Amino acid sequence: MNVVARTDNLCKYYGRHGEIKAVDQLNLEVYEGETFGLLGPNGAGKTTTVRLLNCIIKPTSGTATVAGHDILKNPDDVKRVTGLLAESPGLYEKLSAYEFLEFMAALYDVPRDIVPHRIEDLLKLFGLSDRRNHLLEGYSRGMKQKVLLAAALVHDPPILFLDEPTSTLDPRAALMVKDLIKELSDQAGKTIFVCSHILPIVEELCDRIGVINQGRLIALGTVEEIIARTGKKTLEEAFIEMTGGVEEKELLAWREHTHAGT
Amino acid sequence: MQAPKWYVIGKNQYRLTLSGVREVRPYFPYLAIGLLALYVAYLAPAIVGSFTDEALEFLLSQAAVATIQLILFSIFLWFIFFPVSLVLRDIQISQLEIFLSAPVKPSHLLLGEFLGVLPFYAIGVVVIAGVFTALVNPLGLGVLQTAIVVMVFVLTFFSALWLGTVAGALLRTKLGQSDRGRDIGKAIGFLIALPVVAVMYAMMGGGLATVLSDPGASGLVRSALGLLPSSWGARLITDFAANPGNISAVWFETLTRFGGLTLFFLASLWLGVKLADRAYNLETTSFSAAKAKSDGAFYNALRSFVGGGAFGTLVVSIFKDYGRRLQNLSRVGYIMGIIVLINVFLVRPDEPFGMFLMGQALFGVLAAFVVGEVTVRGKECLFIYRKAPRGESRLVKARLAQGWIVTLPIAAALTAAQLAIVPRISPLAALGYIAVLVVLAAAYVVLTLGLFLLMPAFSDKGGEFGVIMMVIPMLSLGSFIASDILLGRAWSGPFVVVLSWLVGILLLVLGKRNLGRIE
Repeated sequence: MNVVARTDNLCKYYGRHGEIKAVDQLNLEVYEGETFGLLGPNGAGKTTTVRLLNCIIKPTSGTATVAGHDILKNPDDVKRVTGLLAESPGLYEKLSAYEFLEFMAALYDVPRDIVPHRIEDLLKLFGLSDRRNHLLEGYSRGMKQKVLLAAALVHDPPILFLDEPTSTLDPRAALMVKDLIKELSDQAGKTIFVCSHILPIVEELCDRIGVINQGRLIALGTVEEIIARTGKKTLEEAFIEMTGGVEEKELLAWREHTHAGT
Repeated sequence: MQAPKWYVIGKNQYRLTLSGVREVRPYFPYLAIGLLALYVAYLAPAIVGSFTDEALEFLLSQAAVATIQLILFSIFLWFIFFPVSLVLRDIQISQLEIFLSAPVKPSHLLLGEFLGVLPFYAIGVVVIAGVFTALVNPLGLGVLQTAIVVMVFVLTFFSALWLGTVAGALLRTKLGQSDRGRDIGKAIGFLIALPVVAVMYAMMGGGLATVLSDPGASGLVRSALGLLPSSWGARLITDFAANPGNISAVWFETLTRFGGLTLFFLASLWLGVKLADRAYNLETTSFSAAKAKSDGAFYNALRSFVGGGAFGTLVVSIFKDYGRRLQNLSRVGYIMGIIVLINVFLVRPDEPFGMFLMGQALFGVLAAFVVGEVTVRGKECLFIYRKAPRGESRLVKARLAQGWIVTLPIAAALTAAQLAIVPRISPLAALGYIAVLVVLAAAYVVLTLGLFLLMPAFSDKGGEFGVIMMVIPMLSLGSFIASDILLGRAWSGPFVVVLSWLVGILLLVLGKRNLGRIE
């Protein structure tokens, strides 16, 4: 299998002395055409990894290649072949959905003759045709997420990075996005890198997953392999086992003091 | 016993206001009271003492009534508009849900909000009252008269602050429900300062006080001004100045004016409490969504003007996002308003040097308001460009194009309007003068864009934004004054234009480099 993304001791440290290790010695390979899931609790380093692989931030040390292009040496080439749905993306709220997609298409040099058709098709796909001329400020969070997903697809990149793609969507829209990811992977042969902490989505969509905690990759493999490795029954239990969680007896400990006093 | 809700809310508001100086918060009241006592007892009398004779002569003159009326009116307006402006510039209704879900009466919310900020405005009231009491005390005012003078300031300005708090709360609820409303709020929050500035400039250079002092002129304006509560107190101060230590001589005026002021304060409180239900609710909401029209002749022309293609689309997109925000247009309107007011009230037609100087400073601010958008929408908006190939270079070019397209026609039009009042200027000289200021404004766009990229302000409320807004006029005025002294008037203009371009290009290069480092 061809490797389309590879990280090589990728590190991103913050703080004056690099004491905050957002990503630490990350070594990872993502294969062409697969849907890869990066799982981790909040603050684990998922978004930082995605930003590094999309050349939005520079690594402290180490490097990575995406579609054969080095993120340090050929950032523009990397950007051309990737599409990104960011976790907290910027949006020009005073543009309409159509105008925003037109703007994004211009940023990625999509030929002008195909732009109107592509935008229309994407708006139709996401059920936004009726509201194509409404300003984005009036959209719900779910609808904005759909526009952003359309924006990530507007230049038809072979590799897609989706950071928490369904976290703000209603069940119907989330199902549509899940189906779309499957279609993009199965029918269009796209490589998809999904970051999420919503386990059922990762479980259902991903061919392989990596679990990241405190910047370090702590597990890599198929869902079954990871469950088997921890000796648990579900991915949720395995995830908690690997990343740590609150003990059952601690859950209601906060009430004991009050009740003892009454 | 539980503390009253208005106290809890007031205390919370007070803590929020002082959150930036958390270390000194426990000592703040003692520090403030101590410094103010020092100011009232020693500093204010010492300042006033250096011009006592002139001050006393003024207080007993015909002009005193109108001048004090205007001063109090300006401050009265400021006490109303400033809290409204603060609310409108950053409308937050998310906290309303917290308050409304708790067992709190709206009137307690309003009172708490008012009391929470009151200590800070009270500092201003003490400073103003301190100057005035120091001014009238050498006349030999009685203790009761002095106490009434102090109370005049307290009642006048606290009434204004209360009205401002109520108006702010009402507007927040009304406008905070939609993005459009919040945008309108920001626009109003900016333009609201213009009337206060207009009164100040009219007093400073327009001779408004002199005109109002003339018994034969401006009857309507004078009568209208006299009806305002701020004027009742002003009249009382001048009455006391004319009858020091003899309150019985003006007992009727004291009773009606001071009584009227007290009644006005109580009526304001009553009105606010009555409106509190409307000021704190989440009932009103807007379901109308703003729509974008298809690109008209303007955007098509703009796209062609910048060369069409992908770059044309980028510039047009940036332009749309900029132009559809009323707050952006209000900032441009504000600067234009200030330039007009300066020309109407302060500039002498036979001295165009002042105009050039003002234009210099204000065109810089105008450029900063226009290109400042590059970072104030947050890092995430920059990341859109960074994600795209050569995105950062395109962003800089597109922002430069947008900055020039907005700023240069305004600079040309305002300069042409300024020249209309200059006598005996030849058309060629006028054109040359306009060209110089347009080239200068173009340099300011480069310079401010560079500065914003070098020192990114990710919010227009943040410290960096304020610093840049202060640095720009200081830099431009400073460079002009320095070159005027060193090179003389004939060469200072061209020199500043060249200097601004050089500094601008340097800042832009450094800023663009910094843009790649923002994380």
